[in-house]
Amino acid sequence: MLPEVKPPVLDDGREGLVEKVRPYAGRLAWGAFLLLLTQGAEKAAPWLFRIGLNALQARQGETVRNAALGVIALSALAWFVRTQSRMRVFNVGRDVEYDLRNQVLARVHLLGPSFFKRTSTGDIMSRATNDLAQVRLLIGFGALNVVNSGLAFVSAIALMFVVSPRLTLLALIPYPFLTYSARRFGKAMFARSSEAQVAIGALSERVQEDVAGTRALRSLGLEDRQRARFEKVNTNAIEKNLRLVSLRALMWPVMMGLSSIGTLIVVWQGGQMVLDGELTVGDFAAFNAYLAQLVWPTLAFGYLLGIVQRGRASYERVRQVLIAAPDVAEDADAIPAKKEGALSVRDLSYEIEGQKVLDHVSFEVPAGGSVAVVGATGSGKSTLAALLPRLLRTPRGAVFLDGDDVTRLKLSDLRRTIGFAQQEPFLFSTTVAANLTLAQDDPTAPGARAALEHAASEASVKEEIEQLPEGWSTIVGERGVQLSGGQKQRVALSRALLGAPRVLVLDDPLSAVDSRTERAILEALDRAAQGRTMVLVTHRIAAAARCDRVLVLDRGRVVEDGTHDELVLGTGLYSRLAARQRLEQEIAELA
Amino acid sequence: MTDERRVANVRPPTSDVVDEKTYDLVLLRRLWPFARPYARLFILTLCLVPIVTAASLSQPLLMRATIQASLVERSSSALGRVVVLFAIAITVEFMARFAQQYALQLAGQRTVAAIRTATYARVQRLPLSYLDRTPIGRVVTRVTNDSDALGELFASGAVLAISDLVMLIGCLAMMFYLDVGMTLVAICAIPPLALAVDRIRRRAREAFRSIRASIAQLNSYMSEQVQGIAIVQAFGREDACLAEYEQINAIHRDANVRSIRYDALLFSIVESIAAVTVAIVLWYAAVHVGGLGEVESATYVGTVVAFYDYVQRFFVPIRELSTKYTILQSSLAAAERIFGLLDMRDDDAPAGLAVPKYVADDDTIAIELRDVEFAYRTGHPVLHGVSLKVRRGERIAIVGPTGSGKTTITALALRLYDVSKGNVVVDGRDVRELDRGALRSKFACVPQDVFLYNDTVLANVAALDPNPDVERARDALAKVGLEERLAHRGGLEAKLDERGANLSAGERQLVAFARAIYLNRPFLVLDEATAHVDSETEARLGKAAETMLAGRTAIVIAHRLSTVRSVDRIVVVHRGRIVEEGKHEELLALGGLYARLYELQLTESTSPHPIAEAAAAAPIGGAPVEGARNAAPATQSAVS
Repeated sequence: MLPEVKPPVLDDGREGLVEKVRPYAGRLAWGAFLLLLTQGAEKAAPWLFRIGLNALQARQGETVRNAALGVIALSALAWFVRTQSRMRVFNVGRDVEYDLRNQVLARVHLLGPSFFKRTSTGDIMSRATNDLAQVRLLIGFGALNVVNSGLAFVSAIALMFVVSPRLTLLALIPYPFLTYSARRFGKAMFARSSEAQVAIGALSERVQEDVAGTRALRSLGLEDRQRARFEKVNTNAIEKNLRLVSLRALMWPVMMGLSSIGTLIVVWQGGQMVLDGELTVGDFAAFNAYLAQLVWPTLAFGYLLGIVQRGRASYERVRQVLIAAPDVAEDADAIPAKKEGALSVRDLSYEIEGQKVLDHVSFEVPAGGSVAVVGATGSGKSTLAALLPRLLRTPRGAVFLDGDDVTRLKLSDLRRTIGFAQQEPFLFSTTVAANLTLAQDDPTAPGARAALEHAASEASVKEEIEQLPEGWSTIVGERGVQLSGGQKQRVALSRALLGAPRVLVLDDPLSAVDSRTERAILEALDRAAQGRTMVLVTHRIAAAARCDRVLVLDRGRVVEDGTHDELVLGTGLYSRLAARQRLEQEIAELA
Repeated sequence: MTDERRVANVRPPTSDVVDEKTYDLVLLRRLWPFARPYARLFILTLCLVPIVTAASLSQPLLMRATIQASLVERSSSALGRVVVLFAIAITVEFMARFAQQYALQLAGQRTVAAIRTATYARVQRLPLSYLDRTPIGRVVTRVTNDSDALGELFASGAVLAISDLVMLIGCLAMMFYLDVGMTLVAICAIPPLALAVDRIRRRAREAFRSIRASIAQLNSYMSEQVQGIAIVQAFGREDACLAEYEQINAIHRDANVRSIRYDALLFSIVESIAAVTVAIVLWYAAVHVGGLGEVESATYVGTVVAFYDYVQRFFVPIRELSTKYTILQSSLAAAERIFGLLDMRDDDAPAGLAVPKYVADDDTIAIELRDVEFAYRTGHPVLHGVSLKVRRGERIAIVGPTGSGKTTITALALRLYDVSKGNVVVDGRDVRELDRGALRSKFACVPQDVFLYNDTVLANVAALDPNPDVERARDALAKVGLEERLAHRGGLEAKLDERGANLSAGERQLVAFARAIYLNRPFLVLDEATAHVDSETEARLGKAAETMLAGRTAIVIAHRLSTVRSVDRIVVVHRGRIVEEGKHEELLALGGLYARLYELQLTESTSPHPIAEAAAAAPIGGAPVEGARNAAPATQSAVS
């Protein structure tokens, strides 16, 4: 089945789980109806058995055979409706899960650093899998068992009453206890499994920490103490888990035992009634069968409680993602970008967590011009770069593209116009080629491949890509071949070039390359800058020197502003940086 | 652009997720050494199998006896006896089942704990060179998730599948005992059932495999989307990525729909066949009852009722068998991965390696590297023919440009890696002849990137000492000037976050300094130990460092050359070779690399914010950096 290519509607925050299930209400109702039929078939079988047994006792072979035929016919029908009802109800759970999962990613795509700072990747993943599984269980298993248990109780007790009201009342004596302990067990299981989860989480954290710190641990020779610490959390995890599984071990025998008491009562009192001729043997057997059919629905009620609790808590966690506020949103009446490429930054200030990162920064780059932003780590230069294409919460009235405030532009337009390469580039765990074609609108168009190779050679990474084990089809990223920092930066650079943007914003594309590669990239940058606007964030003087203009940032403020030639002759930060890099160059060339 | 929705093509590979093979029970035998200490509990569990089976299977028989007593014997006292027996049967079943489950869980969980400990101990002994290139997540999974999956073997009772088998056989035996003919017709339904169950199970397995593979892919897709969010947004590929995610999600959903179908089919087939079997029994009884008298027919009815009960009991384990099989398979797959790790032969600092012959010069040498060659990756040596002697009580400094091999030298002294050529000698013995624990406990290290535990300051200063000397720890903290700064946060009892994230980089280094003081070991390694400490604090630290260094052999790696002037000797390393050696003034006069490095330092120290540069680490670019730090199984970098 092909997926529907319809983007999911985004949650407006007021939708509850009921709204998510509503589209499938018809199917749920149909499933419930089939469940009703299933229950009917389930209850009819012992009744026929009763008729058969009574006839058997009376030695009426014909009736017995008819009853047997009836049971067979019924089991065929039951087979069909039972399969169908389960499939329908459970599938609704799966469909809701599918919808919600898509909605989670759609929302994640809208979110920015303020969300990701407080929610880790692992946390988001766990909401998109574990929590959704709980929600699905609530809708599928939960719905099925609420309906099923309800129907089973009503029908079984009604039929038992028809057979013998007195015996029914007696047989049901253990049921209040059964229901009560099912609830108690349900609650305790929920509490203990949460405890076990916490303990296993602590264990996992400890191991994670220890493996990450192996080098430090070994340097100090602390393995024994470390193992003792591990033993503590391990023992705790096992004990908590033992509490959980021993409860499980207790639960089944207790439940079975309690329900067996009902059977015992029937054997005792029912047997007496048969003896007294008040009950036929068929009544006796059917009664027992109905009683047996009550056990599972009773247990399911106990489970339901936990499932509902967990499902609701999980949905709440999923909902928190669905209603998270985006950092950057497109205006309803956003305007298209002009795509000339003239940038203007006017009095831009920006804070991260109350700390001023940019302080009244202003500069202009004419279309086709280039500017280098130079500064120490923490001077705010990367933040400045990310603010231009609104990857952060760019304030209004501070950044203008061709005279238009970027916050008023269509986001897709803005980001198509401004190409961006990160300092620590992220590569997806897929082929090199796919990582690059991500920047292409139509990777299958004629000439797309040539453009790809061209971009790679512009960033002087083509040869290295072709030398990888499987060339362009080599899988890179976290789960593939690990590229060096410099290679990653150049792949990211070619990715930025591929989009053919009017404005190129490069965040320190030379921070992890050696001097030989640096020269090659600098030449590539010269070519790339031709006919487009470039904002180059760098700490390398050699790169900055190629730009029309250099901006020196220090703690968020522009402290120097001029051409390379002007600044290098001055006495400021830039000239000192230049002197230092000359020396480093000399040292590198020694020996 | 075409009309179709653009689908991104960035889904991660699935190759290592899908297990095609089925695992064999031989693996269970390998679990035995871990389970042996709990053998009594396991044996008890097994001994209870026949008791549970007998108690459970006696109940249909007692049901028949009830009918016999009330219809045939027509005696209240006979009925009373049966009721008493019935009560005994359910009591015995309850107690035996509980004891069985409890013993099994107790033994099972303890076994899992033992396996987890062994796995952890194995990870502790893995060579650093292996850990450097293996994602942390993969290693952690072996210790946590895999042992959990193995635990399911016990928790789910899948390991007790044998008792299901006993129950099946017992059921059949009882039925044969009651009525051979009736049993023979009743089991007619079993072959078609077995066939159906087997076929459904095969298909269900394919569906499960697909579910596992797609959920893993959904997970890694989400993870990469979060880490690469800036890229997705910057290139405006939100829709294309969502389209691809929806495809994987649909594969996942469809595989689930298949598995639901098979599960529902299996469930209802078993239920229906049980009903059909009851019908067959009735039919068979109808044929036979004709020739029976009233009394016999009453007995016969009792037999039919007992049969009805046995048939129900017979099909319950059959229904559960496939679930248990699935759990068994996934547990064994986990067991195989765990044993794969336990079987790894590479060891951190193994004893008994063949050591190239060397003769220790004299016993005044504390640490010596003799003609050492070393490479993290074969073919890319980072040290070439390095020879270096450190005398007892001598303090040397190693300086050199970034990437020259300074840290590698200290790592070799600690034997974190083994050399490919030459000898590393500590206290007159090649490190490969020394016990690694004994070797490493001679050293106290203060590294550049300090690793602190998610524990109290005291635990960190006392290096996890189970009985820490609080006074000594306080004293150490005071010496590095941290006592005051931490006072308002709880002092020694202050809790540190993971990796000490709630301290500044400088404070973390001070804690490491305090730890080194507390440890009071003969050899000291300071690796850029003050890189993140501001100069004011560093000056204060100077005195503490001076007392700490007194009488100890020390190797100091320093970025700021001003801090190395007071050492006995400076060794200059460049591109994996020692290029200059001597005192500060001598080296300056030499006018070589050291002189250049010193000159470089001067330009740096005149720059207005030398500290801000290194210490400020504002999270810029937001999501990817943050996300990656939190969840990505980062590889450990082999800093040289």
